[in-house]
Amino acid sequence: MTKFFNRNRMLIILFGIIILIALIGLSLTERNHTTKAEQFTGDVVATTQETVNAPFGFIGNIFSDFFSMFGAVDENKKLKEQLDMLPQLQADNERLEEENAKLQEALDVSSKMDYETINASVISRAPDQWLESFTIDKGEKDGLKEGMAVSTSNGLIGIVSRVNGGSSFVELISSNASQNNLSVELKHGDEKVYGNVRTFDTEKNVLVVENIKNQVTLEKGDEVFTSGLTGSFPEGIVIGKVVEVENDEYGLSQNAYVQMNSDLNDVDTVFVLKRDPESLED
Amino acid sequence: MQMIVIFIIGILLMCADMSFTGFSPMTLFNVEVYFVPKFLFMYILLLTIYVGPKISMFFALLFGIMLDIYIGTIYGIYSFGFIAFVIFMQTAFRVFYRDFVAMAFVVLLNSMFFDLYQYAIYRILDFISMPLFDYFALRAVPSVLVNAFVFTIIYILAIQTSKVRKEFRRSN
Repeated sequence: MTKFFNRNRMLIILFGIIILIALIGLSLTERNHTTKAEQFTGDVVATTQETVNAPFGFIGNIFSDFFSMFGAVDENKKLKEQLDMLPQLQADNERLEEENAKLQEALDVSSKMDYETINASVISRAPDQWLESFTIDKGEKDGLKEGMAVSTSNGLIGIVSRVNGGSSFVELISSNASQNNLSVELKHGDEKVYGNVRTFDTEKNVLVVENIKNQVTLEKGDEVFTSGLTGSFPEGIVIGKVVEVENDEYGLSQNAYVQMNSDLNDVDTVFVLKRDPESLED
Repeated sequence: MQMIVIFIIGILLMCADMSFTGFSPMTLFNVEVYFVPKFLFMYILLLTIYVGPKISMFFALLFGIMLDIYIGTIYGIYSFGFIAFVIFMQTAFRVFYRDFVAMAFVVLLNSMFFDLYQYAIYRILDFISMPLFDYFALRAVPSVLVNAFVFTIIYILAIQTSKVRKEFRRSN
């Protein structure tokens, strides 16, 4: 009897392993839609978690409000000084935008730089702390789609990988760099050059960018942006700065190590960048 | 009744697990130290002994699927892992005595193995590149410490949950 039971149990585990391998395969394939069942489960858990977190968040807010009161006067002064410049900047910005729109119309091109931002806050992060992926509180009904770029105020951080009704799952570019082959633009002075993100070096905490042409000699401190050539990423989103450049093994192209601007371990609020659909069509 | 209690406690523990990410990769002396809590996992393991393997298996599957779909990059890691470890726990307790120290030892060891299993899968799939020694020094050991601190609370929770059923039966 016990022997039979053991064999039965072995069978369950063996089947389990087969299913696990199949699921790993499924997860690694690129999908551009999220099934209804996934959406439902994701939303249910997200709502439950928000409900559970609400009382704790409330208490935490009272404390943090109380402590932030002490520095408020100084901060207010500083902010007011900065605000004095704002009307002029805003006016300039509006004038330039208008001019830009007119010129674009004249040339009949749509800019890859056009995008709308959707603010979202992080509900939870993966408890296993391996891939640092997280869930945000905006979903399909806010206009999110799979493959959109996610950034913090400092720069690009991730990509929306599953969209539920009212929440979405975001993978960091550090964890899925190897699958996405993100195309980036490196700027040295006025010169531009393109490259591909190959992987994320977890020991040095830098992105490894490959296939950079030799015409432009990059230096430490050069800025790195998205190129707008990958998926629905808009152009010109800051990613980070070059910290090291080396020639590849054949000397045909350069590799650059890029330090990301945004801190991957400390993310509270993010922006989802929604690229102008017109620029995607062509 | 008991199912509801288990479910609520499970959800709370899951949130506790996730809230650890708020401060977890802590920078101590210029190295990042990870504290990975496995409260929900330990609770499910203890349920195997105190409530019964079938119920425990059911919740292992339920929470496994929830975690996979909600926050998992690779599907199946949690649901398969939870169930496999519940089965393992069942087998392990034919060998060990059911006292507190043995229980603590086995559950903590299992929580370490579970993390090791995730590490192995992500490493094989080339998602992470943490060397094995770093993994043990900066992740496995601190995590076991955190789990050991909280183990007593979860142990009490599990025993209390097992009582819920008895009281319910008596009243019927």
